[in-house]
Amino acid sequence: MNPSAECGVRNRTDRLRALNVQQRVEVELDADGMPVVVKREVGNGKRVESTGESWRIDDEWWRAPVHRRYVEAILEGGKRVVLFEDLVSGGWWMQKP
Amino acid sequence: MTRTLPTPHLASASAACCWIPLFALRCETARRPELAASPQPGALLSPEDPRRLWQVSPLARHAGVKPGMTVSQAIGLCAALKLYEPDPVHYDEQFARLLAALAHVSPVVEPAELGLAYVGTDGLEGLYGTPERIVEAIKCGVRSAECGISMQGHAPRHSPINSAFRTQHSALRVGVGRGKFVSWVAATRARPGEAVIVHPGEEGKFLFSQPLAVLPLDPDTHRRLRQLGLKTLGHLAALPEDAIVSQFGRAGRRLWRLAAGLTAEPVIGRPTPEPITATLTFFSPVAERELLAHALDQLVVRALRDPRRSGWRVQVVRARAELEYGASWLVEATLKDPTADRERVAAPLKTRLEQAPPVGAVERLAVEFTAFAPGTAELQLFARDASAAARAGRRRALTSAVQEIKLRLKRSYLYHVIEVQPWSRLPERRYALIDYEP
Repeated sequence: MNPSAECGVRNRTDRLRALNVQQRVEVELDADGMPVVVKREVGNGKRVESTGESWRIDDEWWRAPVHRRYVEAILEGGKRVVLFEDLVSGGWWMQKP
Repeated sequence: MTRTLPTPHLASASAACCWIPLFALRCETARRPELAASPQPGALLSPEDPRRLWQVSPLARHAGVKPGMTVSQAIGLCAALKLYEPDPVHYDEQFARLLAALAHVSPVVEPAELGLAYVGTDGLEGLYGTPERIVEAIKCGVRSAECGISMQGHAPRHSPINSAFRTQHSALRVGVGRGKFVSWVAATRARPGEAVIVHPGEEGKFLFSQPLAVLPLDPDTHRRLRQLGLKTLGHLAALPEDAIVSQFGRAGRRLWRLAAGLTAEPVIGRPTPEPITATLTFFSPVAERELLAHALDQLVVRALRDPRRSGWRVQVVRARAELEYGASWLVEATLKDPTADRERVAAPLKTRLEQAPPVGAVERLAVEFTAFAPGTAELQLFARDASAAARAGRRRALTSAVQEIKLRLKRSYLYHVIEVQPWSRLPERRYALIDYEP
């Protein structure tokens, strides 16, 4: 399931546009399940230089449940991002911290 | 700032309260004709805190939106809610027009707050007749301000020419009675476009059944009075005055006397300044336009500095010149937006000087201010300080920029960032962009 589709913000009214909408990415994982390469739809993948905090969010069990595993990461070149794995669909997404 | 003290002859015991609820919102609606065609829920953002709502239209209120709510709460309740940026200077200007229109009905006009003014009616029966006719005169005056239609017969020379706060139906409510409080309560009981008249001697009976909420109460006093089982002014007035004073002190005495109809606070008007003139006699006649333009500038500055001008903005300015060989020259300009700014006052005079200069050399030049509008700072209704005026100026500049962008790109592409669910654990739900439509 696309998390942005179930995101209530955009659906509430056409006049609102959510900020910091997540982007779909492909992620290569290491043996511990931590991201090592992040690929966006266009361009080459970027190596993950280091990972920081990791946390999990389980929310909204009363409607469309949200289960996510977040990982803070610094990509090659120094860009700091937050990656999360949608545990329902298995897809990976990228957001600004 | 020098403040003109009211003189005793500009007071009136009998009052007509003129009230246009949601005045600022009506000003916004009036200058957006597209809204009249398709009414939709709307709200003005607070000038103090743009994340909160200030005035809310009846349609929005029907959807549960209330003043003071955050934008995100309001959007949650009413997705179609239209938000407007406040323009306090514009509202003050429109209110000044309303006051100017009322000043043609009575010389005693006291502004209370944006959209609310008291008109002294003592002696007006000699001019208009019964209280009903006085109300008609007031409505006619306000209509002229609303619609830009001059009052025939006693039309002001510089009557407003643009629709200011007119909506589909007149929103003016008028209350007439002895003292400001009775007239205010009467106005709150009047339907839009109508009046409630409390005749002399009927004040006590009229006030008896009115709810306590009409009193100028702080929330704590209101709560305490309700806890005592008091719901109407009649209940309060039935108690001994001393008992109320012992509970609520001096404020309690005032409340009790208002509730009993024993206090009649008069309407206090302000004297309008007489024309202000500044003159300059040249040593030798002057024909150079540049020199004359410079002289006009200096005279405008001198006239603006006159202490009688303090608290008033110039609405009509005139330049007179005595020419060689007995001829003369006269130009007059009515400022669409009254101002106390030197350049804005002098600009139309200098334009006329270029277009239609004096036919001879000038021996004596005079600048005269002949009509005034209440100054924004003097009103102290909304644009209380320079920073508020500066904010309004920035908003106007932004509005103009948005119009320019829309003209070129068909839409503004500008957005507000608003809080939607700032507490959410999901980052994409915390903030959103909403179209910026000034």
